[in-house]
This record gives sequence, structure tokens and C-alpha cells, in this order.
Amino acid sequence: MTETSLIEGLRRQSPKAQQAMLDRYGRDVFAQVVRLVSQTENAEEVYQDVFVKVFSHIGQYDANRSSLRTWIMRIAYNEAVSFLRRKSAPTVYFDDYDRGVETLTDAEVDETLGHASEDTIQLLRAALQHLPPEERALVTMFYYEDMSLKEIAYVTESIPTTVASRLSRTRKKLCRIIKMLQS
Amino acid sequence: MKEDHFDTLRQQDNALRDAIRLSEQEQPQMPADLNARLMKKLEQQKPVAKTRRLWPWVAAACVAGVMMIFLTPPKDGSEGIVAQQKVATNVESQQKELNPGDCPHDTSEAMNQRDCPRDSQPRQIAAQHKKLQHKTVLAEQQKIEKAAIAEAVAAEVHKPADNQPLTASRQPETLTDSDIPITRPENYKYTPEEIALMKRQANEAYLKWVELELEIAKYNQEQTAQK
Repeated sequence: MTETSLIEGLRRQSPKAQQAMLDRYGRDVFAQVVRLVSQTENAEEVYQDVFVKVFSHIGQYDANRSSLRTWIMRIAYNEAVSFLRRKSAPTVYFDDYDRGVETLTDAEVDETLGHASEDTIQLLRAALQHLPPEERALVTMFYYEDMSLKEIAYVTESIPTTVASRLSRTRKKLCRIIKMLQS
Repeated sequence: MKEDHFDTLRQQDNALRDAIRLSEQEQPQMPADLNARLMKKLEQQKPVAKTRRLWPWVAAACVAGVMMIFLTPPKDGSEGIVAQQKVATNVESQQKELNPGDCPHDTSEAMNQRDCPRDSQPRQIAAQHKKLQHKTVLAEQQKIEKAAIAEAVAAEVHKPADNQPLTASRQPETLTDSDIPITRPENYKYTPEEIALMKRQANEAYLKWVELELEIAKYNQEQTAQK
């Protein structure tokens, strides 16, 4: 089933098209949701809300603005962030307003994040756990999903420049966390 | 420019990319029945959509019903009114025929103006007159009843002669009260002429009673004036 016929079927509320949609994008959506909402039960709830919204608002999808997958990922991101703001207790994450962030040079950051040793990878995995969910989702979309700045900006309802600056800040923050863990 | 710079970074940050990949692999997997549960949930929400589709038909049926009520011409209403008017007219004309020269007796002024006998009789005379009227009415009614009984007896006596041939062996029978149909209440019926006669007499009696009442009132007024 092509994307066009899939969208047509969804507009007719066809169960076959809905099932095809779930089969095609379900895993990506669940991964996006569980990245932000850590508990599986909550992630399932958000996942269902995402697809109910997708099926009911399919008429608003504009193929000229984004691909169907990016549009769905945007809905998933917004639903998960809304859930976090609504349900989860406020959490304190690593503070990057430290002077140490400013003292790191770009060369240091590039070297730390580019050196694929086992220790560095394990440190980076630990550092990722100290990032807020939105920043963790940002770097995952960029490095794991291979999404462009424009696509990430569409998903996060932002602009590419803002996404770029947030990415730079997150990279430096990860280095700062690694240094803190090493010390 | 910025996009290219970040593409380069994406290629250079091997450690970060590997770390993210490993973290993603450790994320909880999607339950196998999640899509089935979602489809079931969507199926349960579908009847709402069906009811939404029904409402235009219900609305159209209501409009058609209202139009039928207003556009259908009335069948019995006007005819019934006309029939009632005819009956009322007939009754009025019959009453006029029965009381052609009657005096108006609705108001006291009209009673005073009419050409009624102006004999100044006392209350006793009026009472006697009333009794006399009642007696005459009763006598008339009794006469009518007797005539009806006689007719019924005659009809009963002559009836077998019409239906069966008279034979020599047949003996005349003695009639009892129960054999006379007029003695039975269900057979006691007046003819239209009798009913008309009774009505006329009742009207005359009523008029005479009114006249007497007037005379009594006048007598009382005179007595009061003399005092």
C-alpha cells in the first residue's frame, strides 16, 4: 500500500488502512513515546492517544509540509511532552548553568564524543540518563533517527536554528556530565 | 552551511551515536497486542459515528410529518360544524312554529309589555289554574296511552290472521297482561304525533304558568302599593 492510498484509506476511516498504518509506523511511534515517557504503561496510553489523534485528524495532514512519518512523529512528540507536563512529577536534571560548560572548547567536545572507546560509550550512556527527556529525544532524533534539523524543528514545533543551538548545548552538556562522572 | 556542519558532526560523533544506539536497544519493546487493543478501542468508538449519520434521516422524517399535518386538507371538522349549525337552525325554527304568538318571557320588562290577560286574580286562583293545567296534561297523556294500548291489542289480535290461515280446530285464546306489549316498559313508545302533542301541551302549560306567576307578582305589587 502506497502512502497516498494509505492516506486515502485513513480519510475514509478504513480499518484496513488503520491497521496498515499501525504496522508501518507503530514501532517508530512507540520508540519516540517511550523515549520521553519512561514507564511502559504510560507509554502505551500515550501511544493509543497518538493514533486516535492521527486517525481523527488525518484530514489536516499536508503532504507539502512534511512526510507522513514526520507528521506522526510530531503528534507523538507533542502527546508525550503534554503527558509529561500533565502527569509526571517535576524532576531535577543536570544543571548546565555552570561555568564549566563555557570553559569547554569545541575541540574538546569533538574529541570526547568522537572517541568511540568502550569507556566513553558507557560514560555517554550514563550521561544520557541525566539529560531531560526533551534533550534526550533531540539527540536521539538527530543521531539515531538521522533526521535533519528541519525535520526535528517540525517535530518539536521550533525552527532549525533553535534546534541547532540546542544540539550544540546538549553536546557540551554531555561532555560536562562525562567529566563530572570521571572526576 | 549549518546543516552541513551538523552532518559532519553526526559522522564524527561515533561514540555518542553508539551510546544512543545501545540505549535505544535497551528501551522497552512495544507489546505485541498493543495494536490489537488499539483497534478494539477504535471499533468500540465507531457506533458514535453511526448515530451521527442517522440524524439527517430522523430530521427529514420529522419535517415530512409536520408538512403532512399542515398540508392535508381537513376531512370532518367543517362538515361537523355545518351539520351542527343545520341542527341548531332546525330546532329554532321548530320552536318558533310551536310558539308562534308567544310573548317574550326572558325579562320582566318584556313580560310587562306583552298582551297578556290583565285579570287581577289572587294567588289561590293562580294555584288552582296551575293544578288544572297539570290535570289537563295528565289527562291528555292518559288518553294517548290508552289509545296506544288499544292499537297494540288490536294489532296483536289480528296478527295470526295475517301470518297463518285460520283453521276450524283453532280456539280463541285469552290474553293476559304479559301478552299485551304496551304493558311492558320496553315496548312503551310514543308516536311522533303524540310526542309533538305532548310538547305543545307542555309549552302551553309552561306559558300559562308564567302568566300566572306574572299575575301573582302584579298582585303583590298592588298590595304593597295599597299598604
